Amino acid sequence: MEFLVQAFWAPLTETYFQKALIGGCMVAVVAGVVGCLVVLRRMAFLGDALSHAMIAGVAGGYLVMKLLFGLEAHAPGMLLGSLLAAVLTVALIGLVARISRIKEDTAIGIMYTGVFALGVVVVSIFRGYIHIDLMHFILGDILGVADTDLWASAVVAALVLSILILFFRHFQLATFDPVMAASIGLPVLLLDYALTTCVSLVVVSAVSMVGVILVVGLLITPAATAYLLCDRLDKMMVLAALFGVTSVIGGLYLCVWLDSAGGGAVMLFCTMQFLVVLTVAPRYGLLARWLRLRRLVPQQVVEDILTTILRHKGEALLSVIRQYVQQPVNLPKALSQMEQEGLISASGGGYRLTEAGEKEALQVLRAHRLWETYLQSIGTPQEALHPTADRMEHIRADGTVEYLDEKLGHPARDPHGQKIPPREENENQT
Amino acid sequence: MTTEKAPIIEVRHLTVSYGIRPALLDVSVSIEPDQLVGVIGPNGSGKSTLIKVILGFVRPDVGEVFIAGQDVQKAKGRVAYVPQRGAVDWDFPIIVREVVMMGRYQRIPWHRSPSKEDRDAALEALAMVRMADFADRQIGQLSGGQQQRVFLARALAQGADILLLDEPFAGVDAATERAILEVLERAKAAGKTLVVVHHDLTTAAEYFDKLILLKQRLYAYGPPQAVLQEDLLSQVYEGRLRIFAGLMAKEGA
Repeated sequence: MEFLVQAFWAPLTETYFQKALIGGCMVAVVAGVVGCLVVLRRMAFLGDALSHAMIAGVAGGYLVMKLLFGLEAHAPGMLLGSLLAAVLTVALIGLVARISRIKEDTAIGIMYTGVFALGVVVVSIFRGYIHIDLMHFILGDILGVADTDLWASAVVAALVLSILILFFRHFQLATFDPVMAASIGLPVLLLDYALTTCVSLVVVSAVSMVGVILVVGLLITPAATAYLLCDRLDKMMVLAALFGVTSVIGGLYLCVWLDSAGGGAVMLFCTMQFLVVLTVAPRYGLLARWLRLRRLVPQQVVEDILTTILRHKGEALLSVIRQYVQQPVNLPKALSQMEQEGLISASGGGYRLTEAGEKEALQVLRAHRLWETYLQSIGTPQEALHPTADRMEHIRADGTVEYLDEKLGHPARDPHGQKIPPREENENQT
Repeated sequence: MTTEKAPIIEVRHLTVSYGIRPALLDVSVSIEPDQLVGVIGPNGSGKSTLIKVILGFVRPDVGEVFIAGQDVQKAKGRVAYVPQRGAVDWDFPIIVREVVMMGRYQRIPWHRSPSKEDRDAALEALAMVRMADFADRQIGQLSGGQQQRVFLARALAQGADILLLDEPFAGVDAATERAILEVLERAKAAGKTLVVVHHDLTTAAEYFDKLILLKQRLYAYGPPQAVLQEDLLSQVYEGRLRIFAGLMAKEGA
């Protein structure tokens, strides 16, 4: 008990931890929400580009404020500088992609490394004037959040969330179907710029906490995690915000327990969260996918079982069925699934066809006998008729059987003189 | 061509290019209301571009487009469209009901949520294409024909007089093709004008009142038997004419 109090409560009494928690959660909520649009528009790389471009903006803002106004490390100046740098980078990327044959992903790669390099060079040349800790910038320092950072994050979060909630439908439509959005008169280009500005604001406010390299993860990982669980955008946004908050809380505890880097711990927790959801998500997860594939009983086996029971006058023992179904398959599983689908029912030691099962079985038998008739008509030797038709009977999609029937002139009996069952009218109609 | 009715779509000297490659060259055509018009032409002949210009999404380099006498840029929302299947992100987190609701977005002011009236209109449009039972499905879980019908419902919910459809019959089976055609004909009977990009020449004469034959330039516009002429098709489809020899015999052209 005392251990638990020590582990969970003690950090909460520390001011630095409280600030990290509050600031981190604010940033995570807004990053998660805006991240949903970033993920759906496939702009993930853009977040990366923006965060890297920032360093040039921070350096520029620092220099300008210092040289023109004599202000040291003027936070609003640096913030404005990074916003300008971010918007400029996006504009350059768009320009290069539009006017040359270079595609957008390449343009992003060129521009963000270029602007980042510019920033690094400027910072190192003016190291006498600028006191920017490059390592802090790259890795962030969530445990050293300053009050000004908190205020900046609060303003950014409020602004961006208001814009996204008020214009939710506009962003949804412009993301899902920009052509229609434009055709009903939505300002698609303006919405693009608004979203890019929102992303820049979020990135700028988050960099001081998790650093340049990890900020893109905070933007897209919670959103991608939510994407695996949701079929509606509004729910995805709520869930992404929640995953962002849990990442920050979990990461911060991880960081104090392990005495590790804060930003790293947050992103590690966030990624673990994603991997867990990727595995267990009910519809889009790996486990669900694996189970679906495993549960799949080949249609061929189902049909073989049906005809076997039909040929044994509607009732057959398990041992008999096993004899006729030659595919290597988990027979009890196939049988129990067919029972669930109402095709067969268990009786005594064997299985009996239900009404639906008999209908289906007759259709397979019809296909079998028509195929035999067809095979005979093209000169297949008598002894090969049955085994070949046994394989062909499963090919009966898209009117194949009716086509055969028509080509053969609606025969009444197969080559062995047995009656061909009539066509079931409403079978497989969609 | 009879001109008893004023044209609802009027395209004058339309030229559009992507980079140095022209997509449309000096295309002029007047489409009268209450018709089912097919747009045919080989791949890359500017069919989709024509649709996007009429929608006001692509701006022409030269030329003008008028919707019911009004410049297309001012006639926002008068034209609804059904995108090509390949142009939609089917993994998008959105359900059928929401897609159809998008048809109502232009009537809903930004500060208001969709009203009951909007929701009813969306459901009614869904019922018209017989998809009401699928309202809560994510769009990726539908079959190709069902997906096509959902977008058709969205266009109907928009209440526009003009519907543009980009290859609605691509990749659907014959039964679905008939079902979609039936909805299109009902829309026409309700007084709508439909412009449909189509790739299958064998069904073009049967489905449409008029055809637009396009390959960058406008080669012909008129009733199917006037457009599906051997000399016209051989100009547009060049070496691939042999395929159509049988078809034209069937049409009796």
